[in-house]
Amino acid sequence: MKIRFWGVRGSIPAPGPDTIAYGGNTSCVSIHTASGKLVIVDMGTGLMHLGNHLMAGAFGKGQGRAAILLSHTHWDHIQGLGFFAPVFIPGNHFTVFGPGGSPNVLEEILEGQMDPNFSPLQTLKNFAAIFDVKAATTAFEAEDLRVSAYEHVHGTTTALAFRIEEAGKVFVYASDVGQPVADAPPDPGLVALARGADVLLHDTTYRPSDQATRRNRGFSTYEDAAAMAVAAQARRLVMFHYDQDYSDADVDSLRDACRASLDTLGGQDIGLEAAREGDELEI
Amino acid sequence: MRVKFWGVRGSIPVPGRATSRYGGNTSCVEVRPKGAAPIIIDAGTGLRRLGKSLMEEAFGDGRGETSILISHTHWDHVQGLPFFSPAYRAGNKIQIYARQRDMHLEAVFSQQNNSPYFPVPLSSLEATMSFHELVEGTKFHIGRAKVSCTRLNHPWIAMAYRIEVDGAVVVYCADTAPFTDILFGREFIVKAPSLDEPLPADVVEELARMRAGVVELARGADLLIYDTQFTKTEYLQRPHWGHSHPDDAIQIARDAGAKQLCLFHHAPMRTDDENDQILAAYRTVAAHGDQPLALVSAYEGLEIPLGDE
Ligand SMILES: [Zn+2]
Ligand SMILES: [Zn+2]
Ligand SMILES: [Zn+2]
Repeated sequence: MKIRFWGVRGSIPAPGPDTIAYGGNTSCVSIHTASGKLVIVDMGTGLMHLGNHLMAGAFGKGQGRAAILLSHTHWDHIQGLGFFAPVFIPGNHFTVFGPGGSPNVLEEILEGQMDPNFSPLQTLKNFAAIFDVKAATTAFEAEDLRVSAYEHVHGTTTALAFRIEEAGKVFVYASDVGQPVADAPPDPGLVALARGADVLLHDTTYRPSDQATRRNRGFSTYEDAAAMAVAAQARRLVMFHYDQDYSDADVDSLRDACRASLDTLGGQDIGLEAAREGDELEI
Repeated sequence: MRVKFWGVRGSIPVPGRATSRYGGNTSCVEVRPKGAAPIIIDAGTGLRRLGKSLMEEAFGDGRGETSILISHTHWDHVQGLPFFSPAYRAGNKIQIYARQRDMHLEAVFSQQNNSPYFPVPLSSLEATMSFHELVEGTKFHIGRAKVSCTRLNHPWIAMAYRIEVDGAVVVYCADTAPFTDILFGREFIVKAPSLDEPLPADVVEELARMRAGVVELARGADLLIYDTQFTKTEYLQRPHWGHSHPDDAIQIARDAGAKQLCLFHHAPMRTDDENDQILAAYRTVAAHGDQPLALVSAYEGLEIPLGDE
């Protein structure tokens, strides 16, 4: 599996000279499998750049297929969809697996983004590609891959974390993870989902002092992420979904602090990186 | 007054190295009459940084007041609003003006803030927010500033605004297509239509009326900010997207007798170097003729003093 980061920022795109190194686009990750399949996780503004990149291949000719896993429908996870060039090419085929428990509910939510008050597209029906919306269940198949999903707390709402497996290799995506109370232990359900992951991508929106004043937003610190990685015995931890106000220098210092957290918690063997737009990671 | 640009991009924010000089935030302009509360035009992602800077003033103590004029509610003109810090401080007063929609404006903006899209509903924001619905031709005052508006040629209709204060005039025209090829209304146009076919007489007339309204609104403007998302070549490929180009903007500016034209609402994939080239090429065009026209291209942080400051 090849994992590539197209958007690593949380809440709102953060353009500017001080976010160039890590990137200012909102959440979007692509997974190219060893068998040549494509799975996309989340549709933040990074999706536009992934789409432009895909247009050079099969998707430009209307022969592309991909599964899109959607963690939840906050803006920063869906706002790239209207700018995803491959959906305007007839012949391409997308299957979205997301929250809501029913395909109709999820489709209506995505439709709301295209409402003519807000978008010149007016409706999803104006996509030329096939855009099939499905409700994610706890275990399903997407592009022949085994995917498990777990619904975790995200402030006053919930989001889905995904475990994607291919030939014994495991990638886990857990963005927007946030318990409403301080010092809560790692969510056992999420620990189980992430158990033994080769790569665990985890929400690290805040440093602890910022989380303390904004706990209701439902995001993790690098300490929460480190605790999860240790509890789940992950091999590598990837930091993700940085606060829009954090500069590149801030993220550098967050990574150092996260390394220290891992070491303190007994995770000296766990590899660590801070996700950066354009970076590719091979499992 | 002073005019300051906080977001100059169209369609979608574009972070990254290639856009870092002009800036990747979507549309947001601050107009600051001398010694008075700020008037904000459009609430794209640029509004987030403006909001932070306003928190250093009266807004930080809950004593701030501002009026936000919204050209239209497409995402790139409203997506900064949930991240506008002054809205989260009790005591601040925020007046939002926009064109009337089928449903009440407050309902339109509520949709943006509600679950499942955003965790903080509009109704729970601490500041006092009021919504004012406009139609073409409405005239009103914001403090000493005289404000008027007219409609533009854009899907689901956008408003252009003229603000007159401190002995100067700034006019904001985004988003709009030229008034020559397509009359935008409510229908979605899938493909670029042939531009060679003659238009029905009533459409020609309607477009001419709309253009005359824009020229009248921009009459004698010290600064005309205009949607120039496309180059002319790009426009001819995508005339159905509802955006204009510098040749058209220059003609409008000349017809209105505007003194300075500002290229604005840059295409997301337009690099800084391309923007430099476009500006250089059109400076030559604008300087020609018996009515020289000053030309600037909007970038984040650009500040233009007008009239009495
Ligand atoms: Zn998020
Ligand atoms: Zn979220
Ligand atoms: Zn726009």
